[in-house]
Amino acid sequence: MVLDLILYIIAYPPLWQVLILGFAGSLAIAMVAIWFERKAAARVQRRIGPYWASPALGGFLNIIADMVRYVLQQLIIPGTVDRLVFYFAPIAAFTISILPVIFIPLSPKPEFWPVATMDYSLLIALALSTLPPLLVIAAGWSSNNKFAVIGSMRESYVITAYELVAVVSILSASASLLTFNLVYIVEAQQPFKWLAILNPIAFLAAILAVLMSTSAFPFEIPESEHEVVAGPFTEYSGALYAFNMGGAYVRRFVYALLIALVFLGGWAPYVPGPGPITGYIIPSLIVVFKAVIVVLFISFLRAVYGRYRLDQALGAAWRLAIPLAIIGFGWSLFLAYIGVFH
Amino acid sequence: MPPKVSLKKLARKGGLFDGVKSNIHALAIGVKYLVDPQRSTLLYPKEYIEHRPGYRGFIVFVKEKCISCAACSRICPSAAMKMVRVTEIDPKHPDKPRQKQYPVINYQRCIFCGFCVDVCPTEALYHVPFHDIVYENLADMFMTLEQFQVEPQRPAVSEGLPVVYEVDEGKGLVKRRRG
Ligand code: SF4
Ligand code: SF4
Repeated sequence: MVLDLILYIIAYPPLWQVLILGFAGSLAIAMVAIWFERKAAARVQRRIGPYWASPALGGFLNIIADMVRYVLQQLIIPGTVDRLVFYFAPIAAFTISILPVIFIPLSPKPEFWPVATMDYSLLIALALSTLPPLLVIAAGWSSNNKFAVIGSMRESYVITAYELVAVVSILSASASLLTFNLVYIVEAQQPFKWLAILNPIAFLAAILAVLMSTSAFPFEIPESEHEVVAGPFTEYSGALYAFNMGGAYVRRFVYALLIALVFLGGWAPYVPGPGPITGYIIPSLIVVFKAVIVVLFISFLRAVYGRYRLDQALGAAWRLAIPLAIIGFGWSLFLAYIGVFH
Repeated sequence: MPPKVSLKKLARKGGLFDGVKSNIHALAIGVKYLVDPQRSTLLYPKEYIEHRPGYRGFIVFVKEKCISCAACSRICPSAAMKMVRVTEIDPKHPDKPRQKQYPVINYQRCIFCGFCVDVCPTEALYHVPFHDIVYENLADMFMTLEQFQVEPQRPAVSEGLPVVYEVDEGKGLVKRRRG
């Protein structure tokens, strides 16, 4: 009885989704993204980037060594911080960053991905992925450090600017497809009616929102090293700092998964068949592949753009991105009206 | 009367179209370099820069040419070169030992300005074309008179290949392998 129950809990698919896709997968993809970010920036700036750790792998082991260093580093907790929040915020931010993965289906088959076939998966995933920045603000606020507080302030400004863009642009898919179910959204885009092609404006707004929310270049304002040391994370060291930094990359990956499903057609044009290979592994690999391309594109922007000032970024958000998102939403309504998907 | 303060309004340069165009242009340049990087990093122990003649590197002393005029130690702006007094045998009068002054150098202070080499009337000092030598402790950087006369060995030569940097019209600074 009890054994059965334990086995059931262990074999419960959402658990494995969190552990394997959410934790291990996003860790691996974060590592690839960090490596690519450094390497691409180096290539564009006529440098070499990570190299000596493993010349044959292009210095990839350098990233692993970095991770080991973060984990082994001494954890220094300043005496003046608000301890509970200081410990709690980065860990909670990291955890909540991973949670949306449960609601993001990588396979349309309910037997492999039971939770995700619920009808409000897009709404829940979106709501969860907009939560961690609040904890980042809490982390900065609890640090009792002027740079951290300034960084938190900047983060809060940026949140208010991009939140609307993220929600409106991604929900524009629901406007034209009349559903919040991610599986239906993907299936409606089969084989090549991808929303990125039909509604490029909302797609652009969504990419902008992801850039702002995960503080990628050119919107790396809260953590801008030259101005506010490390922004909200100034007082953090060791593993807690790794949680903070990793959280941003995990969030970037989760947003990329959402964008891959909503705008890039998920597993389309592939039609999942029965059985675990054709029904689960191949579609999920296709989705992850698309998401990785989005992540790498976002990482590549570091090499091209400088950092905007806060007022420039807010101007871009309020003057450009929000109108774009609203136009994209209107275009989605138009698509629904002329009945592209039905 | 203080001058009147007036806000000067600058017209925003370019419109939406220009913004889109320049962003795409920037991305295109980034992709171009990503695909075809033009790196100029020196992979140091595996490569080293072969400097041109006239490079102001470490300094070697030729005792036979020195006339002990001390011009080198007087001109040294960082007081790196000092004269030491040694007793030696005069070749003309082998039975009478004589006192002479010779320069020695302290590489902790030397800024490789080359004044001493320039000022020496008999060319008793010369540069070797490198200064990438590492000492294990600071005391090693004081040269004795004997050490000062030995031409130092460049460690990178045994491990790496020589490269030169050249200015290319299209690409800017480029690295070329030699040999
Ligand atoms: S190179 Fe310049 S600093 Fe060095 S010993 Fe000669 S004069 Fe002095
Ligand atoms: S300037 Fe030349 S000749 Fe005069 S003491 Fe120095 S090394 Fe000797």
